[in-house]
Amino acid sequence: MDEGRLSAWLSDAAGAPVAILSHHRLSGGAIQQNVFLGVTRGGVAEEWVLRTDNTATLAVSLGRGAEFALLRAAHAAGVTVPEPLFGCEDRGVIGAPFFVMRRVAGSATGHAAAKRAAAMGGDAALAGDHGRQLARIHSIRPPRADLAFLGAPPADATTAFITRMRGRLDDAGTPRPPLEYGLRAMELHAPPPLPPVLCHNDFRTGNTMQQEGHITAVLDWEFAAWGDPHEDLGWFTARCWRFGQYHLEAGGIGPLDAFLAGYAAEAGWQPDPARVRFWQLGATIRWAVIAADQAARHLSGRETSLELALTGHMVPELEWDVLDQAEALHAGKA
Amino acid sequence: MQEKPDPRNLLETARAVLLERLLPVLPESARLEARMVASAMAIAARGIGAADEAPEPELGAAIRAGLLDDDPGLLVRLRETARVRLAVSNPRAL
Repeated sequence: MDEGRLSAWLSDAAGAPVAILSHHRLSGGAIQQNVFLGVTRGGVAEEWVLRTDNTATLAVSLGRGAEFALLRAAHAAGVTVPEPLFGCEDRGVIGAPFFVMRRVAGSATGHAAAKRAAAMGGDAALAGDHGRQLARIHSIRPPRADLAFLGAPPADATTAFITRMRGRLDDAGTPRPPLEYGLRAMELHAPPPLPPVLCHNDFRTGNTMQQEGHITAVLDWEFAAWGDPHEDLGWFTARCWRFGQYHLEAGGIGPLDAFLAGYAAEAGWQPDPARVRFWQLGATIRWAVIAADQAARHLSGRETSLELALTGHMVPELEWDVLDQAEALHAGKA
Repeated sequence: MQEKPDPRNLLETARAVLLERLLPVLPESARLEARMVASAMAIAARGIGAADEAPEPELGAAIRAGLLDDDPGLLVRLRETARVRLAVSNPRAL
């Protein structure tokens, strides 16, 4: 990273001289790189995070420019996110598009958050906070010129989801009858479409930054898309995202009713519990598809990684879970 | 004939050394990876000699097309296969 070039660009964007005092890589996701920047802006010390793409980027995730626009939309909608500062599409500055946001205190470790909440018998307040955050995200509705990169909303989120998942299974080329079974169950029991909202599509414990039991930031916007609000509610509450605290249905941190009550209080409408369970099945299928793709990245030799390899071995458990949930859906218990 | 101990025994023995002797003296920064190595060794050990049959090639397509919607034995068959896979990848989930 050419510090001189970056600080020149930042100074221009900020309209004040920016000096980079320190920088270091933060632990980021598999897809992005986060770099801490200790700077002075016009002589005043500030702490920023620069977010850019890793070399092996998933084709299905949005680019940094889009993520920056989403962060701005979310910030304006009252979602607790790091304040978005500057976005840069010019590859000439650091070699890839990037954006800069204000650094937020806290940690985003799923297992630690779930363990902490479980130790106090579940954190209903924190679960409710997650519901409220999600409702604010869902207050963003199409059409939005600033989010035009998301494309037109699907006429029916369920049909679109099933088509997308089948396409990814076909691309991967490994037959997965249990996932086909789950998708077929969704097709047979699809609820009527709802007006589309902005879905975060990776809203789960571990993707919200927390400090002392409070949300300090909702992170990782790169899978956002127009969809059914219950898609996000199902993703957050699916068994596979409870980090071992299976009895705490809301993300392994609290009770489901507290989460849904927080959502309803902010949104002004009650989520449909049957739809939430329907999309928990969708979440489990989608995570299985993603996990299998991650293992495929390892197997292809593009990115040899023990973590990706082990993620592949999560698929059988997810398939097992899909069969249980699909059976319940068929039985009308979902 | 391969010399004994067999690959499964070697993996299990080596894994015990990793977890019981090495892990406690590793720096904190290396422990997560060491546990991942232990997990990989456990999966590999369970996979030795385990059934590894490819699914019937047309099964997924038939499910997708709805041809098996009324097949009462389908779910049982899918669970049997899933159980075999899970017994290697994560038997604790059974």
